[in-house]
Formats: sequence, C-alpha cells, structure tokens
Amino acid sequence: MESEEFALVRELLRSFTARHRIGSADEAGPAARSAAQQALDGLGLAELRRTAKPVATVQECALLAEEHGRHPLTTSFLGRTLLAPEAVRLLGEAGREIDGTPALALAPDLGFPRPDAAALVAWDCEGADSALCVDTEGTVRRAELGPPAPTADLLRTVRGARPGPVVGRLTAPALRHWQAYALVIVTSELVGAARELVALSVGYARERRQYGRPIGSFQAVRHLLADATVLVEACTSATRYAAWCLDHEPPGRALTAARVAKAEAGSSAVEAVYTGMQVFGGIAQTWEHVAHLYLRRVLVGATALAPPGELLPTLAEPEGATR
Amino acid sequence: MDFELTEDQTTIRKAVAGLLKDFDDRYWMEKDRDHAFPEEFYAAVAGGGWLGITIPEEYGGHGLGITEATLLLEEVARSGGGMNAASAIHMSIFGMHPVVVHGSEELRRRTLPRIASGDLHVCFGVTEPGAGLDTTSITTYARREGDHYVVSGRKVWISKAMESEKILLLTRTSRLDEVGRRTDGMTLFLTDLDRARIDVRPIPKMGRNAVTSNELFIDDLRVPVADRVGEEGEGFRYLLDGLNPERMLIAAEALGIGRVALDRAVRYGRERVVFGRPIGQNQGIQFPLADALARLDAAELVLRKATWLYDQGRPCGREANTAKYLCADAGFAAADRALQTHGGMGYSEEYPVARFFREARLTRIAPISQEMILTYLGSHTLGLPRSY
Repeated sequence: MESEEFALVRELLRSFTARHRIGSADEAGPAARSAAQQALDGLGLAELRRTAKPVATVQECALLAEEHGRHPLTTSFLGRTLLAPEAVRLLGEAGREIDGTPALALAPDLGFPRPDAAALVAWDCEGADSALCVDTEGTVRRAELGPPAPTADLLRTVRGARPGPVVGRLTAPALRHWQAYALVIVTSELVGAARELVALSVGYARERRQYGRPIGSFQAVRHLLADATVLVEACTSATRYAAWCLDHEPPGRALTAARVAKAEAGSSAVEAVYTGMQVFGGIAQTWEHVAHLYLRRVLVGATALAPPGELLPTLAEPEGATR
Repeated sequence: MDFELTEDQTTIRKAVAGLLKDFDDRYWMEKDRDHAFPEEFYAAVAGGGWLGITIPEEYGGHGLGITEATLLLEEVARSGGGMNAASAIHMSIFGMHPVVVHGSEELRRRTLPRIASGDLHVCFGVTEPGAGLDTTSITTYARREGDHYVVSGRKVWISKAMESEKILLLTRTSRLDEVGRRTDGMTLFLTDLDRARIDVRPIPKMGRNAVTSNELFIDDLRVPVADRVGEEGEGFRYLLDGLNPERMLIAAEALGIGRVALDRAVRYGRERVVFGRPIGQNQGIQFPLADALARLDAAELVLRKATWLYDQGRPCGREANTAKYLCADAGFAAADRALQTHGGMGYSEEYPVARFFREARLTRIAPISQEMILTYLGSHTLGLPRSY
C-alpha cells in the first residue's frame, strides 16, 4: 500500500476508535457492541488481506492491530477483519466458497487447535455467524457457533464452537505463515494495549498531586514508568520485526520471530500494564476505570495462541526441529 | 516466640566484631589482590578461641550450637572480610562434624584439639569434575591393601587445599555398579594431604582470591585405616548430617556480606553529594537500599529459625534450604545495589563493594546452586515429582 493510502486507512480506523471506544466496562453492553461492530464492518477493512495479492502488508496490518489494541474497544477487529480473511486467502481456490466474514475458532484454552479437538471456541466473533478453524496440521474446517462462552477479557466476544466440515488444507509453508501471522497480529494488539496504558499512567503521574507536587516528580514513580517504557519498546521492536519478517523472509524464519515476539510481549506487555496499574494506585482497581480492561486484555492475550511457557521450550529446540 | 539473642550470643557478636576491627578494607583488598591467605586474621580468630566454637569441650572446643556458629561467621563476613575471611575458617567451624559424630575416639583426639587451636588446617574433598552436586557419581576410588587404603582420582573446587595439612576425603570403596543403592559404597577419610601423591592446582577465579579453590589429582595416595571416619561404605550418610548446617553457615556468610555492603552503601549515600544534595536523598538510590534491607531482614529470620530448629534437634531441611536461598539472593542483591550506589567508584578496587559483589555472587552457586535448592523444596517440601 502506498504510504499516503495507508495513512488514510489508519486515519479511518482512528476516527472509528475515537467514536466507539468505551469509557468503562458498563458501556460494553450488547447493543453498543453490535453497533460498533457494524460500523467496523462498514469500513470494509476485511478486504485488506483477503485478495490473492493482499492489499496491505503484514506490517501495515500489525500497525492497525496495534492501533485497535490501544483503545477499550469491543469490536472483533482481529478475529474477523485481520485473521479469518488471511486464512481464507491462504486457502486459495478452496477459500473462494467461503462467504461473509467468519470469526476464528481456537482451542478452548485459546491455543492453536489440534486436529482431534472436539470442542472449540469462536474467538473475537462479535457479529459473526460462523468460524474457521485452522488446526495444527493445516486442515481448515468450518465451525458452527454455539452459545456465548465466558472470558476474563470483557472486551472480547467469545462463543462455544463445534468443528464442522473440512473446507481445505494449508501447505506446510502456508501453515507456518498462518501461525506466524496470527501470533504477530495478536501480539500487536497486546503491544498497543500496553503502550496506551503506560501512556495513560504517565499522564496521570503528571496530573496527580501528593505532598504538593505531581507524583511523577518522585523518582520511585518516574523510574517505574521509565522501566515500563523500556518494556513496551522491547515488545514493540520484537513484534514489528516479526511483522517485517512475514513480508520479507521465509515463513520458518518469520515463525521463529513471531514466537519470540509473542513470548516477549507475554511477559513485558503484562509487566508494563502492571506498572501502569501501580502508578494509578487505588483508582485503577475500580470497576469504572478502564485500567482493568487493559489488564484483562493483556493477561488473556498473553496466553492466547501460545503462552510463553509453550513458546520458550519451542524456541529452545534446535533450528529446524520445530515446525 | 522469642527473637532475643541470649547474652552469650550477643557477647559472641560483640567480641568477634571487636576482635576483627583492625582487619580493615586495605588488609582484605591486599590479601585478595595478592592471592595471599589471611594468616594474621586466622591467627587472631584462633587466638580468640573461636575456631573450636562447635567442637565438643572434651576436644578443646566450646561445644556450642549452629546458632552460635552462624552468628560467628555472619559477624566475620560482616567485618568486611567477606568470603575471604569466612572461607579461611569455615571448614574449622563445622566441617569436622562427621568426625565429631562418627569418627573413632583416637581420630578425634588426634585431630579435633588441633583444629580448635588453629594448628591444623583442613579442607573438604567431595566434589569431582564428573560428579558436581551429583555426589553419588564420584569415582575417586579407595582400594583396601592390608592396614591401608590406596586412593586414586580427581577432585575439584576444593577450597583451601593449598593451605591445608589434611583433607576430609570422600571416596568410593565400591563402584557405583557394585552397590544396591547409589548412596552405598562411599567411605570418608580424614587424612594427610600428601603432596607427593596429590597434585594441588589452584583454579584462577573471579573472587575470594585470598583462599584458593583447587583441583586435586590423587595418585595412589596411601591412607591408614585409622584415618577412616566411621564404617566403610557409610561415608555418604555421614556427610548428610552436615549438609543442613553447611547451608546455614553459607547463608550466614551471605547475610554478613549483604549487611556490610549495605552499610557501606548507606555511608556513601550520605556522604556523596551530587546536584547539591547527598545522593541518598534520591528515591532512585534510597529505595533500592531500603529494599535490600527488607530482604536481608526477612532472610535473617528464616536463618535464625533454621539454626534454632537444628539446635533443638528438630528437622530443618526446609528452613535450612530456604535460608540459604534467601540469604544468598538478599546478600547478592545488597552487594549489587551497593555497587550501583557507588557508581563508577563501585567498580574500582579502591572501595570494597566490588569485592563484596564478587564474593556475594559465590553464595548463589556454592555449596549448592540456587536451582538445586529449588529442586529440594519442590520435591521434598512440596512433594512434587523429582525433576532430575
């Protein structure tokens, strides 16, 4: 995408987020969710990765996921706009028969589903009427949606799902690309969330006064925030590099970079959000405040697709030994 | 609960601190720099009668408990001598425990009074290049020949071997494939470190340079049967008795280093003025030091509990391991913060904190790594499956 064109797309998303971001958990009711999702669907961004030669690069999609992650939004931008269309695209000919914008089906623990999974969850499925399940062998199935499923991430819509008929299979390189892409997109959202909460807490430290001065003037607070900034930069760099790899390197290398990014964000994004919560003090512990929405997002997100405890042993294996 | 030290224990602290006040930073800096054993310090501690603190009175000691021994070593480390000072006497303080408990009367009479007087230096010969902490895998072999054993093998990380007259030596008298249980077939000796038969080579290392750490090449060393500690084949079990006290002593040493490092950092934080105020006024300096204090205090409490349990004759594996783990981490963290507080000066040998840093690091490895402590707590205390 030309840079001017991408700037326009990003601006489009930004004006959407400004309109539909919620101010507290109480604003995340079904009607608001549905309206926001319809508005998002109306932007037509699902076409960014759906065509054989994608309109947007992975790097551009990662930046959009990061932007979406910065705000308390109930919209299923990842599952329905960025991820499922990519699976459809990778299916090639077989993907042409899939209409609409399905959601993505994952294992009940939000991991990549195994081929023998009897139960699934449709993840990030606001407004979806079906889901696609890409299992760890590369087989792609349709999945039938069930009732809403509980999740600690209050912004996310999750429903139960059951595996249905096979619609196609990904080649081994396509499967690696898919896994890397999914990891990068999910991690980008975590990066955005961590960056924003740290920024919010920095703003709070500037304004909040104790003992006659802004709390941000205390070293114990400002150093915490400086450390958190370092953490955010660490996961940002790892994630953007992984996105770059997907655009420029073979899928195997991109998958390694994506695993590194997800493992890094799994600890640093969470740690950065913890720090932000600490700086906010008691106010961040209240239901009305948005901080817990961010915390929930990064805590669940850190385990989604693959938790660090799974990624690190995989990364520790000799190169070539992992798929 | 009673957190007061007894009058005797308080006296030990004060007396040791008083005895060692003349061994200043320069003394330890030079000993460390020159890789020279601290003879004067050793003579002062021996002269004060402290080496025999746990050795029974009938063998010239004081017959005190591990609580007193840990107070002694903590104070020794805290005097600024750190691990150089502690290691110079560590083995005399409690290392003879297997001999005290299991040695023959003749062996005790022959060795323990000399340990207590300081005349006899000993070292502890257990670890081997191929075994490490997996002690039952040692291969140094003692073959019986009449009223002698003939020992051959290799030992590594033997502290103070260069300076020692005798070695408490763990061997196999039955090979691993000849025994039913891995812990069987090991025999302990307290014997002469005969230079004609044992080649002692110091290992160049990062710190604690006043006391050597050595590799030993043992070639047909002849050991009289009279030097055997207890029964043949029971050596491993004799050592087990001493493992918990060993952890507590190291914990105390780590604690002492942490305390002295913190003291120096606080002093520097008060004196050093930057941007028109003492650096200790900055939260970025003050809070990490306060954090180090809290961690040292917490670690000390576990150590006190562990030594109390041991002296009461009660099980203390959990507490001894926890004390070593927490004291080593707290001591190192304090030394690290002390170095950071000193800035560039902390990296120079002009201030002692660099030495404390190097020495405190040791306690996270020796005599057992932090990771192995966690395996103990994981399997023995939590009851999880053994991880190795």
